[in-house]
Amino acid sequence: MIKFNNISKTYSKQTVLDVESLEIQPGQAFGLVGNNGAGKTTLFSTLLDLIKPSTGEVLNNDINVRTSEDWKSFTSAFLDESFLIGYLMPEEYFYFVGELRNFSKKQVDDFLTDFEDLFNNEILGGKKYIRDLSKGNQKKVGIVAALIGDPKVIVLDEPFANLDPTTQIRLKKIIKNLSKKEDVTVLVSSHDLQDVTEVSDRIVLLEKGLIIKDIKKTTKTLKDLESYFTKE
Amino acid sequence: MGGSLFAKIFAWIGIVYFTLMAIGIGFIHGTGISLLNPDADNKIEFPFEWINENLIYAFAYWIVLRYILQKIPIVNIRQLLLTPMKKSKVIRFAVNRTNFSTFNLMSIFYLVPFSLTVYSMGDLDSNKLIFWNVSIIAIVYITNYLNIILNKRDSLVFIFAGVLILFRALEYWDFLDFTVYSKIIFTSFYNQPILVLIPIGLLAYTYYSVIRYFRFGLYIDTGLQVKVAEARQDDFKFLNRFGDMAKFLRNDFRLIKRSKRARNTALMGIGFVLYGLIFLWAQDIYGETMLIFGYLFSTGGFMFTFCGLVPSWDSQHYSFMMCQNIKYIDYLKSKWYLGCLGIGIATLLASPIYAYFGLFHFVAIICCGVYNLGLNSYLTLWAGAFTKSKVDLDSMKNAMGDSKAFNSKTLLLTIPQMVVPVVVYLVVSKFFTPMTGCFAIGILGAVGVFFRKPVFKLIIQTYKTEKYSTLSAYKETN
Repeated sequence: MIKFNNISKTYSKQTVLDVESLEIQPGQAFGLVGNNGAGKTTLFSTLLDLIKPSTGEVLNNDINVRTSEDWKSFTSAFLDESFLIGYLMPEEYFYFVGELRNFSKKQVDDFLTDFEDLFNNEILGGKKYIRDLSKGNQKKVGIVAALIGDPKVIVLDEPFANLDPTTQIRLKKIIKNLSKKEDVTVLVSSHDLQDVTEVSDRIVLLEKGLIIKDIKKTTKTLKDLESYFTKE
Repeated sequence: MGGSLFAKIFAWIGIVYFTLMAIGIGFIHGTGISLLNPDADNKIEFPFEWINENLIYAFAYWIVLRYILQKIPIVNIRQLLLTPMKKSKVIRFAVNRTNFSTFNLMSIFYLVPFSLTVYSMGDLDSNKLIFWNVSIIAIVYITNYLNIILNKRDSLVFIFAGVLILFRALEYWDFLDFTVYSKIIFTSFYNQPILVLIPIGLLAYTYYSVIRYFRFGLYIDTGLQVKVAEARQDDFKFLNRFGDMAKFLRNDFRLIKRSKRARNTALMGIGFVLYGLIFLWAQDIYGETMLIFGYLFSTGGFMFTFCGLVPSWDSQHYSFMMCQNIKYIDYLKSKWYLGCLGIGIATLLASPIYAYFGLFHFVAIICCGVYNLGLNSYLTLWAGAFTKSKVDLDSMKNAMGDSKAFNSKTLLLTIPQMVVPVVVYLVVSKFFTPMTGCFAIGILGAVGVFFRKPVFKLIIQTYKTEKYSTLSAYKETN
């Protein structure tokens, strides 16, 4: 279980995140929506211990992420291009991540066969370093790498942005399959209400760092969310 | 911030220092007094002839140095393409900005006082001297524009540097003396002022070639496109013997192989092996003690230049590294191994070179290597925790001009790195023998090796407390 206790972040008097309490059960497909600057990335960053929160603590499976590094063995993430090593080839990058997560070369190769569709022959066996791939392909590499090694907590920030329609559909399928597994928690954020409702079973709406809505997905969730954003 | 103010002051002190140096050296060269050997016997009788003999080399070095250090304006053009400015104006703006580069200004700061001194001392004709100056400065500017074109063709510069070394070698072994031709060519600019038209004409030609070059290449898919090298997998299998460290070392080797900036830094580090020679040849001025300073660089050059930028080498993917299943100890240890490998190779390369000058130099090299291994390697890694400068792996410019890399804490750390061993040597060799002085340094280093565990604990603690500010510094775009 992931617990945010009284987490807030303030930059010189401006509060960008203020979450009193948020608990995410194991196996949940968790969606985070909100406008730019709502605090989505900041929230994920506190979970990954990339930002020091002004107050509060984050527990990832009872491990305080700031005092111990043990959460790193079962948590993986792709937030932005700073999660890629540009001077590696995609294969080398996958093997490196595999090594960090105790996956042999063979296991990584087997794992990657599931993504042949998604890669569309543009990633593997090419003659390019990651830095020379297009933005969309870079994103695919980052997301797939985040799935290597059976992580139990997967954090993806805006995974659908910059992807072509075919890839978006394939990626949604992959995420839905992942969240079917009972012990895997997937956290996804997005601007796109439809994408996020499609892949999550619980949706939290952030606005200026505050949780405005916290809903279990039903058939009318999308309408609900849309009406919230049109209201303004 | 105190740090950035410090860096600014430091940068300005640097500029003032080099300007004064250029002016000062200009005057001194003008009088003909030898800088390395300021005895009256060594005075150069005709400084004006001397400079003409050596100008050819000065220009050649200038071109190579410019290639390595000078920033070129192409990168900035991209952003201006969409502004409502005429293309030719954008180009001229970018190219003209290079006119005020340090390289050009330093040349002028040197030439003018030089000319004034030779004029006041000798029987040179003032008008002719002015024309000579114009010619030389025109050639300086030709190298300026040449550099812009050369920057697009890496291989040319290596050929150029190769030819330069060959010329020097030929001259050293008395096969050919290029200074004779250099003198004939450059003195003619003085004797026949009308010849000034040649450099001026060439200058105009190179200037317009640069403009034209950009004019037709100014599309992001042609002239402004960054060349993409064909990728090949590298496994560096021999690294497997390093066990858990292998996966990190492998990436560092790939980094050095594939990133221009990293490659040049590593090469520069290896080049430092010869640094001690400067202090060896100039022992009369610097004295024996400074040899130690030189030898510390000879054996530790790679470690200082390359490992000095840990963790900045990972700045572009630091958040990734911080989220992965990587223990700080493994990460830092792998960087430490890399530094030690560098020290080992440098010591191995340096010891036969310096052993040639006697046993003392051999011992000094080994002892300095041990000091680097046992103490400086930790200190460099530790300093890295405070060096929060983002490294752009894809461009090699700015390698020296990174003012952020100088902050007060890293500067303070050079005291134990450089000053302490030199002082230890000075004191011990005063009371005992120079050889004992070397051993004292070596023993200090050897003791340091045994303190790895507690020292690493301290370093890791620092990395942990600095983690968040490092991450946010790396996020900033320049």
